[in-house]
Amino acid sequence: MEKKTVHEPNTHPKESTGVKLGKSFGSMFKRLFVREKDPLSVLEEEALQTPTQTIIKNFIRTKLGVVGVVAFILILLFSFVGSELRPIDESYQEPALSNVRPGANYLKYPSAIVKEGVKEISSGISFSVALTNQGNVYIWGKQPIYLSGRATSIFKLPKDFPQGKIAHIAAGDRFWVAISEDGKFYGFGYNNFSQLEVPQNVKMKIQTTAVRQLLAGEGVTGILLENGEIYIWGSTLATRQDIVPAAYQGRIVHAEITPLNVVVLLDDGTIGVFGTEGNEISDIPEELTDGSVKVVDFTTSGRAAMALDSEGKLHIWGSVMHGLLNIPEFEGNVVDLFGGKNNFGLLLDNGELVYWGANHFNQLKMPKEAKHTKYVAVYSDIFQNFAVAEDGTISAWGHEGFIFGSDQFGRDNLTRLIHGGRISLTVGAIAMIISVIIALIIGLVSGYFGGWVDNVLMRFTDVVISIPFMPLAITLSTIVTGSVPEMYRIYMIMVILGFLNWPGLARLIRAHLLLEREKDFVLAARALGVKQRNIMVRHILPNIFNLVIVNVTLGYASALLMESALSFLGFGVAPPTPSWGNMLDSAQKSTVIEYYWWRWVIPGLAVVFAALSVNLIGDALRDAMDPKASEK
Amino acid sequence: MLKYLAKRLISMIPVVIAITIIIFALVKAMPGDPARMMINPALKEEQREAAYRAMREKLGLDYPMPVQYVKWIAATLSGDLGWSSMNNRPVKEVIAEPLRNTLILNVFVTICEIAVILPVGVVMAVRRGSLIDKFWQVFSLIGYSMPSFFIGLSLIFIFALKLKLLPPGSMPIAAYGKDLAYYLSWFKYMLLPMLSLTIISIAGSIRYVRNAMIEALSQDYIRTARSKGLSEKVVIYSHAFRNALIPISTIIIMSVFALLSGSAITEQVFAWKGIGYTLVLALNNRDYMLVITLNLLSTMLAITANIVADITYGIVDPRIKLE
Repeated sequence: MEKKTVHEPNTHPKESTGVKLGKSFGSMFKRLFVREKDPLSVLEEEALQTPTQTIIKNFIRTKLGVVGVVAFILILLFSFVGSELRPIDESYQEPALSNVRPGANYLKYPSAIVKEGVKEISSGISFSVALTNQGNVYIWGKQPIYLSGRATSIFKLPKDFPQGKIAHIAAGDRFWVAISEDGKFYGFGYNNFSQLEVPQNVKMKIQTTAVRQLLAGEGVTGILLENGEIYIWGSTLATRQDIVPAAYQGRIVHAEITPLNVVVLLDDGTIGVFGTEGNEISDIPEELTDGSVKVVDFTTSGRAAMALDSEGKLHIWGSVMHGLLNIPEFEGNVVDLFGGKNNFGLLLDNGELVYWGANHFNQLKMPKEAKHTKYVAVYSDIFQNFAVAEDGTISAWGHEGFIFGSDQFGRDNLTRLIHGGRISLTVGAIAMIISVIIALIIGLVSGYFGGWVDNVLMRFTDVVISIPFMPLAITLSTIVTGSVPEMYRIYMIMVILGFLNWPGLARLIRAHLLLEREKDFVLAARALGVKQRNIMVRHILPNIFNLVIVNVTLGYASALLMESALSFLGFGVAPPTPSWGNMLDSAQKSTVIEYYWWRWVIPGLAVVFAALSVNLIGDALRDAMDPKASEK
Repeated sequence: MLKYLAKRLISMIPVVIAITIIIFALVKAMPGDPARMMINPALKEEQREAAYRAMREKLGLDYPMPVQYVKWIAATLSGDLGWSSMNNRPVKEVIAEPLRNTLILNVFVTICEIAVILPVGVVMAVRRGSLIDKFWQVFSLIGYSMPSFFIGLSLIFIFALKLKLLPPGSMPIAAYGKDLAYYLSWFKYMLLPMLSLTIISIAGSIRYVRNAMIEALSQDYIRTARSKGLSEKVVIYSHAFRNALIPISTIIIMSVFALLSGSAITEQVFAWKGIGYTLVLALNNRDYMLVITLNLLSTMLAITANIVADITYGIVDPRIKLE
């Protein structure tokens, strides 16, 4: 007893025997029923754990492998769940929004405009400009990309810009213009058609006559004076919007610019159109021109127009696209009407809003508060909508911008990235499954039968492995895709990738099969009289299973890279179906590489992240299955 | 050595025959009728059919497939590679330049790759776990997870478009004859594709070099050498490195093989007029004879690389002679 107290200096000297007894019982109890937390030695590990448990434990211990798994799960969620949440219309294009910079702040107006009160809001493709009641100008959104030197920043106001004394503003597609109370003209953004430079004769006019309205369209600027005269300049060579018929000049009350025309309201309540002839808008209904109805207001969208007469009746004409001409039923009188690029809207006398037309950018999805808010003014332009309520607050809805920018056809990069990911990940996975099946069959048959079968199969493997992959893959793709319909092309790509990828794995399987076959446990099984086939399937196959798993994982990463490379060259997944590779297909021009960087950096990084996460998993798996390798 | 080489060469013959059959079958399976594409489109309706018949006869398309194959092989072996419809010149003349461009590019890349992976791989193995080791491991991991076109585009973006140091792609034109200035500018155009391919090759092979060197360093004879009191330099370079050279030569040959396949994409990105670039062009223009020849050419290059690998084994590993 004394000896023990010497060895255990912590034991209380006045401890009774009973307590001691209880303690030793306690420790015995612990030893019997509570699991030890100490790490296991190699021998214990093998005795207590199945190999699978060891592998999983080793895998979790390598932090990079876990990072890879988490990253890969996130990528899967992004592509597969994302594509359910964000459906794609592969054929939809919006040329007006081509090559827009990444950014989603088109609707995030500065709070100052609420304080100062909105007089006017006008939007371009990627920005909006507001004029407040105090005559100040505020700009928000994203700078449209410009490649020529004939453009300026839309945000940078010059030092002599008369904030507080601005009378009118107007935003075109990629530029905006303003005019001050003393008749000075300012322009910002694209100037590729000299739309920001006022012609000399107009300059004289605006010095002497007050301006009623500023106009801006696609590369076109215009000024409507109080005396009813209108002047248009800019990109008018093809559209002839600058030629104002003499019958209209001096009688114009209100005007709007559409891509091909200028629509005007004349002082006698009729509508006039000039510019190109023979399109949807120039084809005005007769009653609007012969004076039988008196128009009080009108608005235009990209390819249709709508007028309100003095009796509160609506007249609509133009293209049937996007259901523009289908006015929904509503109760109340129309106070104001407005048109975005592909939709129309009405403000009723009870403060309600009615919207219809295209909804590609949520133009029809009004905010929740719209139901119980009474609006007094609405500004709809291109795809952005801003409604001012009685109390001065602003509701904004419509196009928020593209987080990842847009491509040459004005398609959202994020949506295409999500759906492209779904396609790329699936193509890679199925290609990998095909090649594993082939490799397993050829490797096992070759290693199992040996002899001439082995010889023939291995020579065949030599043949396939000797042909460089890329040249063969693009040749095969041309042959196969030339003879199958477009919709099956994607399956053909999976098959091609699968059929070219198996030889390495087949060789590896065969080599390990031969190695395992000579081991003692096979000899033991044979001595016990186990059938040859069962030795193969039950004893040898599980031993090479680990090898297959690791190589499948690493092979999946390379299948992803191959799919993207094939699609990049234009021999893979065919557009308009997106894949990460073919999103980069159009990025081979130096203007795209330099200025529209989001079109190649973002899908490129997506491939890198996916391949990296899979490679991390593969490396960690290999280390987990072969602890000797990780000691290196 | 010679006997071994002869044996390897003979075993290659069936492989080469099988490859030619596969390539021939592939091109025969291509959509479109080569004879119809080669007749003069300006001909009148009634003349066209006769011209088509004549062209089929000339191209030998009416023979059965095996006969066509034997005729094609015989013509190829005698140096007649056919007519390139895209260039309207014999294929033999068309492929000379792409072949030269690809070879020069790949040789430079291989030299650069070896110059980097040998010293760096040895340092990584000797100073395991050091900062240098970790840096190159991360480099390798990211490098081989990257699509080659993405590396190419990034290099164009940085060096050609932002820094404006190098041309973004394509090749120089010999307007004033092929003088020194021409060759200098030619080299300048080659730098970016070379850098791009070198990064890919290094990323793909450096960790195998490291592992081979670690394997060699863990052998018993290294302990013996150290206990003899040899300097660390001698132990590493004349004992470990010499023995690691056998797996390393395999790695280098594998990477040359990968280069032949992968340079097609890099050539496309930089518009470097090599075999891959020309193949894409020929496929898009349905130039059958050019496609068939280019496929054959890249395969033959790959097989040559394999044979070179065998000779290298014989040189670095004297034991192979005994087999």
